[in-house]
Amino acid sequence: MIDAMDKAAGLSPDDALFAARRFRPEFVRGAEECRLSVLHPANDQGLAPNLRVALARRMAALNADPVLVAEYDVQLDQLDPTEQLLAVAQGETALEEPLATIARHADLVTMTPKKAEASDIALLAQAGLSNPQIVALSELIAFVNFQTRVATGLRLMRSA
Amino acid sequence: MISSVRLKPLNWQPYIAPVKLSEATPEQLEAMKVTPSAKKVSEYVRTLAHDPESYLARTVLFNAIMYVEGGLARPDRELGALGASIVNGCKFCAVVHARRHAELTKSDQVVTALYLDKPEALGQRDAAIYSFARRLSAAPSEATADDIAALRSVGMDDREIIDLIHAISIFGWANRLMHVLGHAESG
Repeated sequence: MIDAMDKAAGLSPDDALFAARRFRPEFVRGAEECRLSVLHPANDQGLAPNLRVALARRMAALNADPVLVAEYDVQLDQLDPTEQLLAVAQGETALEEPLATIARHADLVTMTPKKAEASDIALLAQAGLSNPQIVALSELIAFVNFQTRVATGLRLMRSA
Repeated sequence: MISSVRLKPLNWQPYIAPVKLSEATPEQLEAMKVTPSAKKVSEYVRTLAHDPESYLARTVLFNAIMYVEGGLARPDRELGALGASIVNGCKFCAVVHARRHAELTKSDQVVTALYLDKPEALGQRDAAIYSFARRLSAAPSEATADDIAALRSVGMDDREIIDLIHAISIFGWANRLMHVLGHAESG
């Protein structure tokens, strides 16, 4: 069965790499469970799946990953996005709060994690995010940065 | 010959209040794998336990990537983790995984070369791994098919390269938690 990572990496069951990936069933299953835990969690902590997918789309674009951008566009389209969420997904910065602060944080941590400081977390709290929301947002941001790198690495293996 | 770098473990302090064990929900306790009587759960674990679902899923995956048997040698996974942690600026993670690399290889030559920013002192295999780790960790990634070719030329097979991609990428995740939700202090 093709999963989200195969799809992102462009792998089909005939590819040698599809089989090589299954040498590590723990990684295949684990990555999929992580994806669900940050994009479609049972308890979303008040960060709805459409916000999560919009942010994922935004961060896939920052990582210059057109395949994942297209995939998240399709998913977002099915989740009744508001104009504001579409703007989040498109990478816009003129947004309502708390979306502006959330989007700023996603951009910062995706592009320059080295520069993150205590004041950046304080901004999230000032925008009204609870501690569980700050952690859930951090895991989502970090996951998309994991996902784009695994997909990129697998794509490079196919082309090398 | 360059003199070796001594790295002391750092302490990690969160920017938000961690979950208190006395106030944790059954789901949080289960995710942290502790009983209510347990005294010592790290602040890092208790901070992430604010969202137990993602904590649990990531911990299972992280442990598989770094510790599963066979495939890529453990020191090579640590080198991938170290390269990512240096690019992403997670000092805490870099020290932990530099120390682990030195323990596993019983040598601090590689770690010394990296901390003194002398990657040219690395052997061919370590250089290929470290360079790929740095380039894949850039945002957006700067890795190319040439990096994969370099890994193959030092004898790595597809399974090992897949293991390495995961070790580097899971630190694209872990670094963005540890360095963003808190900071490292000298012990």
